[in-house]
Amino acid sequence: MGRFVLLLDIALKHLAMRRRQTAVAVAGVGIGVGFFLAVSAMLVGSENDFVKTLIDAAPHITISDEIDRPTPQPAVQAYPGAAVEIHGYKPRTEARGIKGWQAILAAADAVPGAIASPSLTGAVTLRVGGREQALAVVGVDPAVYARISDLESKLAFGKLRDLETTQGGVIISEELAEKLGVGMGDIVGATSARAGTRTLRIVGLIGRGQGQFGTTSGFVLLREAQSLTGQPFIINNIGVRLTDPYAAEAVADGLEARFGYKAESWQERAADFLALLVTRNIITYAVVSAILLVATFGIYSVVSNSVADKRRDIAIMRSMGFSQGDLQGVFVMEGLILAVIGIVAGWALGFIMLEVLGSLSFDVGGRARSLPIDRSLTQYFIAGGASMLSAVIAAWLPARKAARVDPVDILRGAA
Amino acid sequence: MSGGPVLASTSPLMTVRGLTRALPGDPPVPLVRGLDLDIARGTFVAVVGPSGCGKSSLLYLLGLLDRPTGGSLLFDGRDTGPMDGDARAQLRLEQFGFVFQFHFLLPEFTAAENVALPIRRLGRLSTAAARTRALELLEAMGLADQANKTPDHMSGGQRQRVAIARALANDPALVLGDEPTGNLDTVNSRRVVEIFQDLAHKQGRAVVCVTHDPDVAAAADVRVRMRDGVIEGVD
Repeated sequence: MGRFVLLLDIALKHLAMRRRQTAVAVAGVGIGVGFFLAVSAMLVGSENDFVKTLIDAAPHITISDEIDRPTPQPAVQAYPGAAVEIHGYKPRTEARGIKGWQAILAAADAVPGAIASPSLTGAVTLRVGGREQALAVVGVDPAVYARISDLESKLAFGKLRDLETTQGGVIISEELAEKLGVGMGDIVGATSARAGTRTLRIVGLIGRGQGQFGTTSGFVLLREAQSLTGQPFIINNIGVRLTDPYAAEAVADGLEARFGYKAESWQERAADFLALLVTRNIITYAVVSAILLVATFGIYSVVSNSVADKRRDIAIMRSMGFSQGDLQGVFVMEGLILAVIGIVAGWALGFIMLEVLGSLSFDVGGRARSLPIDRSLTQYFIAGGASMLSAVIAAWLPARKAARVDPVDILRGAA
Repeated sequence: MSGGPVLASTSPLMTVRGLTRALPGDPPVPLVRGLDLDIARGTFVAVVGPSGCGKSSLLYLLGLLDRPTGGSLLFDGRDTGPMDGDARAQLRLEQFGFVFQFHFLLPEFTAAENVALPIRRLGRLSTAAARTRALELLEAMGLADQANKTPDHMSGGQRQRVAIARALANDPALVLGDEPTGNLDTVNSRRVVEIFQDLAHKQGRAVVCVTHDPDVAAAADVRVRMRDGVIEGVD
């Protein structure tokens, strides 16, 4: 301990003798850490926000009525495994939808913490006063769907449960309502190929800028959708929400393997975006790390100059009985002192920058939004840790040189 | 002729046999060749000779700052040859004290802090006790009032006495001086010589001093005359 304090004392004295260089090096590290912190906090914040949007917008797993292989035709089923070639037959038309969906629903619900919601998606055309717009109508059970999606929180007007209390209720996007020239409570005509025309009443509007739900999608009660599209008792989609969203891929694979219907996880759905995020992170961290690297050149410069200036003192201390390790320790400590002060200053600078950035407000689709910033301590530790590591390397190189100084060469030269 | 007379001593502190140091080259450049020497406690030894004769090389070898390319060097019966760098540094810390021509004090530290450095590095005393010991040594050198001054606020003679105090910080058995009066006026030179005589005669230390100064050589108990890297004679 006494040795450590002595070496620290010497290192501090060296730095105190070269205040300007020390201040420049500390400022360099501080600015590097501050910017690293600000950029990485914004980067991680935006990524978290984006991934959260991806995760929350839709169920973590979507099981659709797409199948790996078509159902064998009756003639083939009649002679399983036989060497029979059948051709020229008229294929039997199958009703779309997930068969035996109750079993799939039960299996999905059986996953710990999972909630499964059946739905039916179909196409209708909305008509109001001669204006027509295509609508992808989604029939849901509002009570269950509210637990697997954040649709409720994205409604600018109305509630999801209003679908249950209003006969023929429909929720559409504000953008679509504007195109049709309708608003809350208005009646629109809905036409489908199978079931003719019905009337629907607008009971909710999805706020602007919620593209993840689709501006041309509309939500109705499940039985309403079945009636509207002429597919009674049919569902073609099961949405599953998990306690751990990152388990979605494994659970989806299991369900798909077991039931044969396509089960798509949110990661699979957003694979392109996630790959883009990785690329973005690599580029950004490379740039920000370069800032840190440049900052550590300041430390290298200070320690290197210190070693050059103190060659005579190094020789004297060696003659006194200081070991090579002692001398190396002195100069590494100089670098660490600069790094520690710089990191603390950088944390303060970064904190202020994050506060300023976090207070900025932007108008997005008529709504005020602030920058998503990750204020977790992890960012501070990453910035501090990366700087400290760079500083150790930057100081160690010249310190090693100090330890290798031959005292006899110096003393001969000075004599 | 390599080698030279051996100083008579019943209990040599340092025993040198066939000591050789040559710089690498083709052929190697000899600095000292085949030196034999015994250095006894309580003796003030002056090493004299013309410039380039190997006096300082011998001193650096005796002080374990340099490694010989041949021969052996025993300190208090221990062979220093197999010692690694850390062991040699520890021996210097505990047993050796160096005084150079230029004071070579660390400019950032006060006189007391400079003297306390080897004591603190040895670690046997607390920081406060190390300072007390440093102040005692400075007082013994007549520098009690200079304790809190940095070297640039002291005269050449004062700095050299601080350097001597620092050399004595860990109570060394061997004090090595490399032209310690080379940069001092007559009055300060005489004072340094008196201190060295006291160290040898009153405190029983061995003092080896490389010098060109005839007064210093005359004040020594033994004069080792060197020429061309060998000991020419001993008076």
